[in-house]
Amino acid sequence: MVKKLFNPIKDKSGEIIEFLMSSPDIPADSSIQFKIRLSIEETVENVVNYAYQDGVGWMEVSTDLDDKGLQLTITLKDAGTPFNPLEREDPDLTLPAEERPIGGLGIFLCKQFMDKVSYSYENGCNVLTLQKNIA
Amino acid sequence: MDVTIKKEGTKTMVTLQGRLDTTNADLFQQDIAELMQDEHPNIEFDCTDMEYTSSQGLRLFLMLQKRVNAKKGSLVLRHMRPQVKEVFDITGFSNIFKIED
Repeated sequence: MVKKLFNPIKDKSGEIIEFLMSSPDIPADSSIQFKIRLSIEETVENVVNYAYQDGVGWMEVSTDLDDKGLQLTITLKDAGTPFNPLEREDPDLTLPAEERPIGGLGIFLCKQFMDKVSYSYENGCNVLTLQKNIA
Repeated sequence: MDVTIKKEGTKTMVTLQGRLDTTNADLFQQDIAELMQDEHPNIEFDCTDMEYTSSQGLRLFLMLQKRVNAKKGSLVLRHMRPQVKEVFDITGFSNIFKIED
């Protein structure tokens, strides 16, 4: 398990993503790594860019493996504006290019690539948990 | 990520190398903005060495495709790696873009 507090987080997306990806909990398989990296990027970006209105704030991130080493859990925590990214409606994938909105695909991709994504608001903090079976 | 843009007659060849993500999307946006200047876009991307794209990259590709459609031009993405292709498949972008080997 690794855990780190980043404060401030402004312009730190790259650093936070690399910290998580370098965790010993992340499997070596490049195909799983791709999915994990993408899911981390989309969710970290959300917090760094939108959680704090003035752009100043902290974020605590961690990775953890269960005892059997079969399930990876990544947790992102911040004290920004309460926001549940999972409430966002899934994009309409059938629209032609002209009608597709720019953006709105990040969390959708994360949900597709992870086995479980959950959100809670605890003690004044947004807590987003990503879970991936890596067996 | 490295982006190389070359004019070959009326065609613009773009070669992508590395990861397209939040750390370099701003730079890629400048390249896309340049491609969007073209009044008769005929653009081909070589994605052989494009290792990764997040939604940051997708939004820029979509911006370019919208512009190309508006100008009745052509945009082809070639030699996409399976994992990158999966991102295009999941988001329905495979139906929007011309993806070829």
